[in-house]
Order: sequence, then structure tokens, then C-alpha cells
Amino acid sequence: MSNGGATHYLTAPLRWLARAADVPLRAWQRMTGQGGMIALFLLPNMAIFSIFVLIPLGMNALYSTTGGVEFFLADRPYVGGEHYARLMDCENYLEPRSCRDDMFWIAVWNTARFVIFQVGVMTLVAMITALILNRAIPAKAFWRAVFFFPVLLSPVVVGLIWRWILQRQGLANLAMFEMGLEPVNWLTDRFWAFFAAVGVSVWAHMGFYTLILLAGLQAIPRDLYEAAEMDGTPPFRVFYRITLPLLMPNLLVVLVLALIRAVQIFDEAYVLTGGGPGTSTMFMTQYIYESGFANLLRNPGLAAAASILMALVLVVLTLCQLWLSRRAGGDR
Amino acid sequence: MGAIELENIHKSFGAVDVIKDVSLNIPEGELTVFVGPSGCGKSTLLRLISGLDQPTSGRILIDGQDVTRRSAADRGLAMVFQSYALYPHMSVRQNMAFGLENTRMPRAEIASRIEEAARLLEIDPLLDRRPGQLSGGQRQRVAIGRAIVREPTAFLLDEPLSNLDAELRGTMRAELAALHGRLGKTMIYVTHDQIEAMTLADRIVVLRGGVVEQVDTPLNLFNAPANRFVAGFIGAPKMNFLPRPDGRTMGIRPQHLRLGEGGLPVTVDMAENLGAETLIHGRSEDGHTLLAMVPGQVTPERGDVLSLQYDEADAHYFGEDGLRQ
Amino acid sequence: MRWLVAKRGRTGDGRGWHWTDIATWVWLIGGTILMFGPAVWLVLSSFKTPAALAEFPPTLLPFAQQTVEVEGEQKPLYTVTLADGTVRTMAELRRVGIVAQMVDPDDPGAEPARVNIADRDPVREVDFATENYTEPFMRFDFFLFLRNSVFVTVMATIITLLTNSMAAFALSKYEFRGRNAVMLLIIATLMVPLSVILVPLYSVVAATGLMNNLWGVILPTVATPTGVFLLRQYMLTIPDELLDAARMDHASEWQIYWRIVLPLAAPALAVLAIFSVVWRWNDFLWPLVVLSRKELYTLQIGLNTYAGELNVQWHYILAMTVVAMIPVVLVFVFLQRFITAGIAGTGLK
Repeated sequence: MSNGGATHYLTAPLRWLARAADVPLRAWQRMTGQGGMIALFLLPNMAIFSIFVLIPLGMNALYSTTGGVEFFLADRPYVGGEHYARLMDCENYLEPRSCRDDMFWIAVWNTARFVIFQVGVMTLVAMITALILNRAIPAKAFWRAVFFFPVLLSPVVVGLIWRWILQRQGLANLAMFEMGLEPVNWLTDRFWAFFAAVGVSVWAHMGFYTLILLAGLQAIPRDLYEAAEMDGTPPFRVFYRITLPLLMPNLLVVLVLALIRAVQIFDEAYVLTGGGPGTSTMFMTQYIYESGFANLLRNPGLAAAASILMALVLVVLTLCQLWLSRRAGGDR
Repeated sequence: MGAIELENIHKSFGAVDVIKDVSLNIPEGELTVFVGPSGCGKSTLLRLISGLDQPTSGRILIDGQDVTRRSAADRGLAMVFQSYALYPHMSVRQNMAFGLENTRMPRAEIASRIEEAARLLEIDPLLDRRPGQLSGGQRQRVAIGRAIVREPTAFLLDEPLSNLDAELRGTMRAELAALHGRLGKTMIYVTHDQIEAMTLADRIVVLRGGVVEQVDTPLNLFNAPANRFVAGFIGAPKMNFLPRPDGRTMGIRPQHLRLGEGGLPVTVDMAENLGAETLIHGRSEDGHTLLAMVPGQVTPERGDVLSLQYDEADAHYFGEDGLRQ
Repeated sequence: MRWLVAKRGRTGDGRGWHWTDIATWVWLIGGTILMFGPAVWLVLSSFKTPAALAEFPPTLLPFAQQTVEVEGEQKPLYTVTLADGTVRTMAELRRVGIVAQMVDPDDPGAEPARVNIADRDPVREVDFATENYTEPFMRFDFFLFLRNSVFVTVMATIITLLTNSMAAFALSKYEFRGRNAVMLLIIATLMVPLSVILVPLYSVVAATGLMNNLWGVILPTVATPTGVFLLRQYMLTIPDELLDAARMDHASEWQIYWRIVLPLAAPALAVLAIFSVVWRWNDFLWPLVVLSRKELYTLQIGLNTYAGELNVQWHYILAMTVVAMIPVVLVFVFLQRFITAGIAGTGLK
């Protein structure tokens, strides 16, 4: 590439390597033909992919059916479905305390509540923001950037920023104080800590979904609106009969992606509250992480079984997405 | 140098036979045109010769050597692609040098070859531009220049003029003919445009459905088409075909019909005045459509009955099998 | 209708303000405060001294109390209202209970005045506590953390670009048996999150001897299906005739990849590079599992560890949070165009 001085010098060693590699690779191509080259191009990626994604994916089932604290599979005795039985052993699934592994069911219901609130609020906020950004406003790119900005921040940074703001003497309570309200223990009150996690997660991710919805809105042909205006269609009817149906594919992508990611909530909530106070913000991924690695009595098999149950939920959600997007595609 | 032979070439993609037993002899130094309707296999045949695709069976020989299993790069051929296939991220000079650098040719030699080709094609001022900054005609020249610098034993051209507008196509056609005269190298030229074929070719290969219909010089094809397909394909407007009571079909070109007493009675549907000549659309007595290209400006009304004469020497007769008799 | 769709021209259509115009601006400005405000507050706070951080209500800008040298020692300065009602600037020598001994810094030899601490205010000026930034690097391990983060990010991005583009090239430009199977596999695993394979991945990394090794953080992340998918979709748009032309030009398949396809895929590579940098810089759960030795921590893990201590030293934490934010903010400011295009086009994140 001849463009850009800096890139030119930075990639110089790579380019030198690539040129040197041509001689043996030409010989390889002569020996093995195109097939050999295809194998060579695929090899690095597929090898890494197999070792670090495919094999673990397959091994998960083995972990979930063996017991003990060892990680080396040969040292783990077969226990069959014991972990699953332990996780599912419950008198009343809605009441975690009646379950043998109460922490698992606490995590399940916390995650479920989180998904409902987070996805609901975030989709609504992202939708409103996208509709507003699609209006004729000056400096559109700037406003779009404003709402997108937190998406790039690391979960640790997000968690720490909000921990600082929501602490006892933080900015949030200053605002409450100025408005004449009682200060709130945002992060140490069971009720508020959960909604703090929801709110922070919405803050961090809504910009991403706004962009997808905005792309959908911008793809709707403007003549449709002009035709509707000529017909004197009232605005809300236009929204329900034109905007919403045509935005449906994007809205579905947003809903399902948001669902899939919300089920996996961990990083920012963990930094923000550490799962507390008590167990009020303990979510599924944290349960897997802690039961597999962090607890004194670690139990990799139990963690694997829990992760497989979570994977099942994700597979169902993904299939829903495929089914819905196919159906939405077929309608048009 | 540059004689190409094809022996019993077959090519199939899955269950579809694209080339069915083609044998051809392309003599050294000639400009041979492959022509035929789309899907006739002419581009496939060119790709088989280039080495970019492998035949299912059969042999390809260049100057008597079997190159069937040789890679595209090692056949000593150069190709000009329909889309020109200029590397967009390289300057014109780099485009022309790329192939030579790959053969580890000394830099000075590369530079002098590029200079020479650029002068020949009058593209010297463009050498440091990118393809994106060139017009269609300029890109076409660069694509040819990239082939010339390789000093190949033969040039393969895959519909090289089809992306140009009509006027430019005429100019480039003439330039290509002149270039062929100057270089004296074997060229194989693929086109679906029979006018290009007629004006450029030393010899034309007419293909249909993966089969060679006829190989001959342009005038021989025009004057003595081997069958009804070739007769209809070569020449514009198309030859008229009139069934005869004995089961044969008579073919007569529109240009060979003229107004005169005692000829075929034709009812006029429409007349198109082109200035120097008039194209008459009509129907014969038994309802077959007929075209006549008559000199001068004639203005018959719709429904008029004209009498059209022809010389028996210009008439072609085809048997029920479509073959010329 | 204009509440719903962009009209040609500016806000409104000359018929004055509609209520939706007002709502729009309230939303945009409120949104800006809510989106940017926390980050700005973080940056401002990161320059405050521990004393200033403990204040309530907090000040917007970082203030620090002024000091003055009295008899070879730095003493804090106060504005003091004396018993006779005069207001003077004095330095505090010492303090006993609610009574402070104050002295005029210009006349240090004079008898110190006894002042009730309620009758004085500290003299303060805007002062950026840059030691919040320098000390974590000098006294703690943050320099190491930063180095580790840069290493992981740079190496992972280079390897990602290289391996993903090679695979994408093979999957987009060659016909071969099993190609569809490989593509299907890649698409199927697009959605496999780390948390689902955490336990077995840990054991694989342990078995390959990469625990407590930065390569153990890097390697599992580089074979991203997302990257292969993105690059393949882009490479499909590169015309095959270019590759044929290169083959006629004596180029080997490796050269075709390196000299033709890679440069032409530069826009897609740029998008993937940006995402890879952001992903790897921000990674948290996986490094948390793999790295247990402090000198190997990445910035994110180091920050979380220090922020998790019982006595959180917020002045350092806030400053280091800003440091962790810097590369991402730079990417955001200079390369935002690429990112938004990438997301709108592929739904990538």
C-alpha cells in the first residue's frame, strides 16, 4: 500500500516477511496445487478457532458430567447428571430459597428481571433517540456521536465512572440534594442497586442499538411519507402503518441482539456492585465464573452445567431471531 | 511462434457440458475471432486456452507443445479482460510492471518495455495515474499495454470493447487492427458482435452451444455460410429465410433484394428511411416476414405491394437438416 | 408529519415551533449531559486531591488549598476574620481542637493569633493534582499494567487481521469441497459467548501452558468468526477477473492474497482493526480468569483490583480510569466514521 506514511513504515517488517515467504510458498503451491494453498490460508485461523472455540464447546458436556475440583479431564470422576439434578432440584422454582442450589436460582431470576427491564427500557430509549436523530436537525453527526460515545468504553471504565457518581457523596446524590430529595444509597440498597445496574447497562449500550435503528429509518424511502402526506394521513397512523412495519427487520435485530447480550450481563455490573449488596445483582455469568473459579469450594462441573443451560437459552433466542427475520423477510 | 491447437476439448461444469468436442487450429500470427450468441462457450474456450480453467478432457498445444496441464502463467500468453481487470490500487506503471516483476526481470528492462509500450499506445502521460482516474478508452489502452509488455506468444482478448460507447468502440477497433498488423502476433478475440468479428478477423470461428459451427475467413462466411445458423448469425440485417415447396429453405440477404418488375410480391408493413438506403419490412405472399435493404430513398405506404428482384447467384439453399446445399 | 421524518431544510417549515421541536431539543441536550456528563465529571474529579474528593457538596473544578512557607515548612493558608472584625490572610501553624494558631506569613516572628476554626476559610485556587497520574505509574504497577494492555491489544490485532484475512480470502475466492460447511460453522459460532465455554477454555489454556501468560489472553480471542465474516463479505465484492489477471501475470496465490486482495480489502481491514483494538483493550472476563499474577495484569484487571480494595484510593483510581479511557476516546474522535459505517453495515460490535 502506498498510502499513508506512518502505515507504510509500520507495516514494513510485515511486508518484508510476506515477500520472503513467497519463495517457499511458491514451492508449496507447485507441489500441492491450489488445494494446498487453500489449506494453508485456512490453517492458522481454523487451528486457533478449533483449539479455543470448537474443542472447548465440545468439552463442556464432559465437564458438566464429571465432578471434583480438578480441571484436567482425566482426573475428574464421572458423575452423570448429578450437577444438572442439583441445579434443577427445587421445591418451587420461583422461590430460590427452596432450591438446593439457591444461588443458581437467584442468579436465574435476577438475570430474567434484568433482561426484561434492560431490553425494554433500552429499546424504547434507542427507538426515541433514533426517531429524533432522523429528524432534520443541524449537526446530525455530532448528536449521533454523543449517544454512541459510551458504547466504546470498557465495562471497567463504565463501572468505575458510575460507582464514582452513585457513591454516597457522589454527583447523583448532589442532584437529589439540590432537588430537595433525600439522598439514596444507590449501590448499597438492594432495590436501587439492581436498577442502577439496569440503568448503567442501558447508558453503556443504547448508542449501538440507536445506530442500527437509525440505519433502518434512513433506509425508508422518503416518497412513502410524502405520499402519506398527500393522502392527509395523521402522523401517528403514519408511524404505525409505515415507519414501524418497514423498521421491523431492524427492530427485530435490535431486540434479539439486546436479549442475547443482556442474558450474558457480567462485566459492568460486576465492577459496579460486585454482585451485591447481598445477592441482589448476582447474574448468571457471575454465577458461572464464581462457581467455576473464584469460590473457595470451586466446582467446574457445576459451572459447566450452568453454562450449558445458559447456552440453551441463547440457542433458543438465536433460533427465534432466524425464524423472525426469515418471516419478516418473507412478508415483503 | 504462437500457433495454437485444440484437440477434442470437452469442458463440463457439473452436469452441464459447456464445450463439446472442439478441435481447432489457430495459425501463427493470425487474428482469430470467436463469435457466437451469449452462452455459446466462446469465453470458456478462451479461458481454457489461457489456462485459467482446465478442460475436462482433450489437449491444448502451443507451438506443438502440450500445455494442457501447465499453469496460466507458464503458457506465455497475455490476456485482456472484459472489465480490463486493472489493479485499482496500483498506478498504470505498476500495473504494467507487476507481471514482469513476478518473473524477476531486471528493473532497467522492465522500465524500457513500459516506455516502449506506452509510446506505442500513446499513454505516456498517464503512467503515474491510478486506473480510477482514467477514462474508459484510456483504461482499455492500459489493459492492452499490460499485455504487450509481457511480449507474449499470443494475445487473448475477452470482449475487450464491450464496455466502451459506440463511437469509441469504432476507433478502438481500428486501432486494434493496426496494432495486430504492427505486432504480427497471434491474437484470439472473443466477441458477440458480428460486425467486430467481420472487420477485425483473419478468420472467424462461429460457435453455438459449445460446438464449432464453421471456421473460415469473414467473406467466405458471408458468401458461403455452412448452415442456416451461420447464415442467420453473420450479416446485418439478418438473412431472410423463405421455405420452398420441396422442403428446402431459400436464404436471401436483404441487401441482395432490389425493386424491379416480375420479382417476389411483398406487402409493406413499414419502411425505415436511413438516408442513403431504405429498410423495408414486409411479408411475402405466404405470410413470411421479409426484410429488404434497397438503395436510395423509397417511401412506400403501409399495405402497398412491391415487387422485389434478386439474382439467383445470391440465393442460398438449405436442406431440411439446415446444411447448405 | 415533520415530527416523524426529516424534512428537507432545517427544523420546522417556517410555521414556527411545534411541540415536537421543543421535545427534540430537550432530548438532545439532556442526552448530551447524561452521555458526556459522567465522563467529564470523571476527568475533572481525577485531578482533585483526596481532600477535595471527600468534600460534599463537591466543586466542579479541582481546587486545592494554597500553602505558604513559614520557617522552612509548608503551612496551609486561610482567610481569617479576627476578633476585631478585620479580615486577613494567615497561615496555620498548628491546631488544637477547634482553636487554630494563625500567623501572618509576611511577619512570621509575631505572636500567633488564636482563631476559632469556624472563623476562617481556606484560600483555594484551581489546581490540577497531576500526581494522581504520575504516582500510580511510579509507585504502583500501573506502568506494567499499561504495557501489558498495549502488548495484548497490538499483538491480538495484528494476528486477528492476518489470520482472519487469510481465512476470509480462502472462503471468498476459491471453490472447494467443504467450503459451505466451514462457513456454516463460522456463522453458527458467531453467537457463542465466552461465558458459555469458560470452564473448558480455561482447561485448554492451562493444558497448553498459557496460564499466567499474556499469550493465553491473546490467542483465544484472535480467531474471531465476526472478523472472518466481515472480511469475507467485503472480499466477495472484489472482482474475480482481477485475480485471473494476476494469475496471468505470474503471481503466486500467496502474492494474489498479499499484493492484490489485501490492499483492496483495506477499508474492511480498517474497520476490523478498529474493533479489534477496542475489544482487546476493553476485555475483562477472560484476562480475569487467565491472569492471577499481578505483574501480568492488564489495565482493566489492575483497575478492578485496586478499585475492589477495602480502602479505595479514589484519586488514583479515577486518574487511571481516565488513562484506560484515552485510547478508546482517541479512536472515537478520529475513527468514528468507520465505526458507525461498520455497525450500520454489519451489525458488528
